[in-house]
Amino acid sequence: MMKDFVKFDNVYKRYKMGEVTINAANGVSFSIDEGEFAVVVGLSGAGKTTVLNILGGIDSCDEGTIIVGGRDISRLSGKDLASYRRYDIGFVFQFYNLIPNLTAKENVELATQICRDHMDADAALESVGLTERKNNFPAQLSGGEQQRVSIARALAKKPKLLLCDEPTGALDYNTGKNILKLLQNKCQEDGMTVVLITHNSAITPMANRVIRMRSGKVISNTINESPVPIEQIEW
Amino acid sequence: MKALKKNIIREISGTKSRFFSILAIIGLSTGFFTGIKASGPSMMKTGLDYFEEQNLMDIRLVSTVGFDDDDIKAIKENENTLDVMPGYSSDLISTEDNIDTVIKVISLPEKTDTNDRIINEPILVEGRFPESSGECAIESYYFTRYGYKIGDKITLNPKVQGNDTLDFVKNLEYKIVGAVSSPTYITYQRENTNVGDGTIAYFIMLPSEEFSSERYTNVFLTTKKNFDPYNPYDSEYKEHIDKVKDVYTDLSEERIRIFNENTLKDAKKELSDARKEYSEKKTEAEKELSDGEKKLHDGEREYAEKILDAERKIAEGEKELEDGRKELAEGQKKYADGIAEAKQKLTDAKTEYSKGKEEYTKAKNEYDLQIEQAQNKLDDAETEFNIQYQLFYGTTKPQAETKLTLLKTAIDSCNEIIDKTKQSIEEAEEIISIEVDDENELQKLKDKLDEYSAKLDEYNLQYEEGTRQLKEGEKQLEDARQKLDDAKAEFRKKKAEGSQKLNDAQIKLDNAQSQIDIGMLEYESAMNSGMLEIQAAQAKISEGEKQLENGKTELEKQKAAGMEQLKKSREKLDSGKNEAARQLGEALKKLNDAQKQIESLDDAKWFVNARNDYPGYSGLEEDSMRVDKVATVFPFFFMLVASLVCLTTMSRMVEERRTEIGTLKALGYSNFSIALKYFIYSSIASVVGSIIGGILGMSTIPKIIVDTYSMLYTLPPSKVVFPLDIFILSSAMGLICTSVVAVVSCLGELRLKPATLMRPKAPKPGKRILLEHIPFIWKHLNFTSKVTMRNLFRYKIRFFMTVIGVAGCTALIIGGLGLKDSLSVIAGRQYDELTIFDQIYALSDPGDERKTEYIMSQFHADKRFDQTIPVGQNWINVVYDNDRKISLRTVIAEPDSSFEKIFVLRDRVTHDKVTLDNSGVVINERLSQVTGVGAGEILDFMLDDESYSVKVSGITENYAGNTVYFTPELYTEVTGKETEYNVVYTQLSDISSDEQKKVANDWMEKDEILTVSVLEDQLNGILSTLDSLNVIVLVVIICAGMLAVVVLYNLTNINISERIREIATIKVLGFYNIETANYIYRENIILTLTGALVGLPLGMVFLSFIMVSIQMEMVMFPQYITVLSYAIGFVLTLIFSLFVNFIMYFKMKKVSMVESLKSIE
Repeated sequence: MMKDFVKFDNVYKRYKMGEVTINAANGVSFSIDEGEFAVVVGLSGAGKTTVLNILGGIDSCDEGTIIVGGRDISRLSGKDLASYRRYDIGFVFQFYNLIPNLTAKENVELATQICRDHMDADAALESVGLTERKNNFPAQLSGGEQQRVSIARALAKKPKLLLCDEPTGALDYNTGKNILKLLQNKCQEDGMTVVLITHNSAITPMANRVIRMRSGKVISNTINESPVPIEQIEW
Repeated sequence: MKALKKNIIREISGTKSRFFSILAIIGLSTGFFTGIKASGPSMMKTGLDYFEEQNLMDIRLVSTVGFDDDDIKAIKENENTLDVMPGYSSDLISTEDNIDTVIKVISLPEKTDTNDRIINEPILVEGRFPESSGECAIESYYFTRYGYKIGDKITLNPKVQGNDTLDFVKNLEYKIVGAVSSPTYITYQRENTNVGDGTIAYFIMLPSEEFSSERYTNVFLTTKKNFDPYNPYDSEYKEHIDKVKDVYTDLSEERIRIFNENTLKDAKKELSDARKEYSEKKTEAEKELSDGEKKLHDGEREYAEKILDAERKIAEGEKELEDGRKELAEGQKKYADGIAEAKQKLTDAKTEYSKGKEEYTKAKNEYDLQIEQAQNKLDDAETEFNIQYQLFYGTTKPQAETKLTLLKTAIDSCNEIIDKTKQSIEEAEEIISIEVDDENELQKLKDKLDEYSAKLDEYNLQYEEGTRQLKEGEKQLEDARQKLDDAKAEFRKKKAEGSQKLNDAQIKLDNAQSQIDIGMLEYESAMNSGMLEIQAAQAKISEGEKQLENGKTELEKQKAAGMEQLKKSREKLDSGKNEAARQLGEALKKLNDAQKQIESLDDAKWFVNARNDYPGYSGLEEDSMRVDKVATVFPFFFMLVASLVCLTTMSRMVEERRTEIGTLKALGYSNFSIALKYFIYSSIASVVGSIIGGILGMSTIPKIIVDTYSMLYTLPPSKVVFPLDIFILSSAMGLICTSVVAVVSCLGELRLKPATLMRPKAPKPGKRILLEHIPFIWKHLNFTSKVTMRNLFRYKIRFFMTVIGVAGCTALIIGGLGLKDSLSVIAGRQYDELTIFDQIYALSDPGDERKTEYIMSQFHADKRFDQTIPVGQNWINVVYDNDRKISLRTVIAEPDSSFEKIFVLRDRVTHDKVTLDNSGVVINERLSQVTGVGAGEILDFMLDDESYSVKVSGITENYAGNTVYFTPELYTEVTGKETEYNVVYTQLSDISSDEQKKVANDWMEKDEILTVSVLEDQLNGILSTLDSLNVIVLVVIICAGMLAVVVLYNLTNINISERIREIATIKVLGFYNIETANYIYRENIILTLTGALVGLPLGMVFLSFIMVSIQMEMVMFPQYITVLSYAIGFVLTLIFSLFVNFIMYFKMKKVSMVESLKSIE
């Protein structure tokens, strides 16, 4: 298992809003080891989404370096970033972002058809327990099911890093728990490195690593030696 | 409200592309509609103002006998008359570089004395108006087109139609001092004339003092109208003109009656004078004629006598000549005989000579041979002798002599020995007797003697033998010598013999030669003597000839003298006759003039013409109407597409703002104030768009179109009429399609509860499409195609909007191009395939059958014509729908082979020949369409106010002009009238247009020909009209292109904004920019292709709309689109689409992934 698989070193991200400059990331530094289940937790506006976006190659940073799997991604061109997203990153969205016009299976295929090394769409769906509903359109699926499709879509690309942006934010308690369970399983059973951002600190015990953020800065980066299975967590 | 204002401003700045695309669409359609709709009226207005400002006349009076001041006064006094301007006009011929051109010479309009205004006031374009004699102003159209300069001269042909040009104008050369345009001639077209080739090329204006005529040739007048302002193309004006035309026609009858009375009086007197003069002159002439005839008779008698005398002399000479000839013949015969004899002798001698020569040669050959043989023998003998000689003296003799010498020596020694021995013996014997012992000795001596005796014998024998051998050798030598001598003797003998023989031959030869010489001498002497005889005879002949010559000269002299006398008599007779004829002619002319004057009383007539009798005047109305009709169809279609796009855009906008609407509603804003925002937003877009579009459209399109048409007209710079109603109409339509749609869809949303509104509208759920149920196809599609297909069918409205929009653009482009195609088909088919005659000659006296026959034979004789056919051409009115009438011409002709070559009657589609026969008339397709009368049905028509009906037997393809074709028999059967062949249709052989002009000029010289119309002129006119439509086509294409771009831009924009989340998502998934763009483009390309394909047939439909709306009674517009036009329409649309996609690429590139991942609003 690679140490410092993900490494943020003094990363800055500034947004100009008229005459005001907002430091969304104000010198962020942390690292995550390979195979860890890392939770980035903080209040709204703490900069966690910015961090995730930069990590996912969706956004760029203004200063600092980001190393992923030994590769500096902070200075990549737009095209290289697209390749990075394509081959290295799996993204799970808060609002699933499924293509409404495609069935569950087709949504997964949308991702796999651009990857050289990918899982079979059916297998990916099976791994999230959705084999039966693979031919349904998103509108015919519940929120939890849609998020599973989203996870299947992310996993099917066989990414190095699975990034989840409030994956349970739009889900009810139980469904959310199921999704978290799924993610934890993927990490523990398949060794997938998962970075999950949430404003809900109650779920931090399930993580190997907890990174707390406030006002664009990392205030703590702790390792949890004994993660608790999600079933035991209540909030 | 302040917040609302801010909200609107933000909304606009936030959705710039949407706002401006609405603005652009509205602007485009309003601008296009208003601009193109303003073109027709602007054209009209330009013309009308021109007519008004230049005070164009209402009525022009033309009289066959001219007007005098009393006539003018009468016209002036008529209550309808406002202003009168009398003037002059003549059609004359200008000659430049030997090319005759017919020109119209008109008097410069002058101020009227009643109102001090100039009627038909010309506009000075360059230079100045003519003031003094010898100056003219030329029309500016021709001036510029043919590059004349101020100061150039126009030279008039001194003759025109057999009359002196100076009878019409005072000079034959006019200097151009100015270029003018006249409101009477607003196009390049001029009236027909009966001068030259029948076509007037241009006009010049001269001061009226330059005209020689006493009487005015025409009168221009304006009328009092009880309405003002007026539009001369209105029915009000037309009715007014119809009314006053009648008034002036009545007036003309009155004036003609007065004219007739006056002239009749004069003419009758003149007639009787002339008659008297004529008869006097006739008597005088007859007397002179008889004198002349007598003199002629005398002359003839004298002539005959003298001729007789001379002939006698000739006979004498001939006789002498005959004698000489006879003698000559005899001499010649003698000569020939002598020569023949001598020749015979000569020939014999020659034969003998050649025989002798032959013998001689033979002898010589023989001699040579023998000599040679003898020589050979001699040579042999000599050789042998020499050998023997050599042998004998060289070898045999010396050897033998040596031997003999030896032998002699031996013999001598033997003899000596013997002698000695004998002596010894004798001695011995003597001794013996003494000595017995010597006996032996003796014996020995005796033996020795014997031995030597034997030896001597042998030697003697040998010596004898040698001697004998020597003797033999000598004998042999002697033999050889003998032989040599023999050979020599023989040779000598033979040579002598040969020489003898040769000599004999030579003698014979010499004899023959001498014989030849004798023959030659004889021959020469015979020849000489014959020649002398011949010369004598020849001398006699030349003597005879000389005598004959003398006789002939004499005859000639006598003849000439006689002729002279005769000529003199004849001259006298002729001069008498001429004089008589001249005098008679004069008298007859006077008589005829008087007669004509009387006759002209019947012919004298005023023609009352109105403005529309000037060519081009009605053309302006027709052209502007046509533009106006095209202007209605195109923009209407255009607006339709634009409206649909606006509609989609606005409803989409309201949909997007659903949450905001919900929020505002929840905050307690009234429905009105919520809807107000969208109303104001869209109103600003559409009103601003309308105004900008209106301004741009008005300032460009009418100018382009009117200016193009102005090239056909000589109109002043275009005046643009602003069609307020159209502008309001199109603006209103824009407003409805945006604002009203916005408000309505906003109110529709507002009916929902705020809570519902605030929740995002669930994205349109995915659905299986029909195609998926056809696994055969679906399975074979790859993943991306499946996605594309499903997306296409997912947004059905956008699908249809785009297809309609794109199809509309394609159709507009194709329609525009098709318009051009179709019109060029008219020109092409009509003038290349159907109307293939070149010139039409109108006969001046069609009633005279004999003349017609004569002129037709003249036509047939002129090889410059390929085909000629006499045709009865009448104007008839075809009646349909009870009271509607079309005026058209008939073609009445025998359907013979010439007819078929000149008139192409065929079916438009199949090109099958349509046969004209006595069973019915053939009419053209357009006439059939207008009247609704098909083949086998009955056509009603009026001729000279009588109604007739005839069966239609066939319909023929034709585009310009209506014609009814009759056979003469049918015409007579139907109307009861005989066919009067009044025109001749001709087809020229392949000659240049200058030559064609010359043909026309030549024929116009003939009295039998009244006018010529040349087809080429008409063709040029039509082609230039069609050319000007190109501009409209171009305007349409440009506007259609802009529409296509805006429509596609707008729809793609909607597509992107609707699916911005989707695009962001696939970008996050790692799609490259180009892949992302393709994800959308694939749909766009399919939509564009579908649209463009749908547009192809739509273009045809669209074209037929245009064609139906611009069609005229006279002209059939075929609907025809070339493959090229289809291709251009299709490809242009694709190019526009690619252009939009190209722009959209950057927009898509800018879609922020971060934004789209935020929570749904």
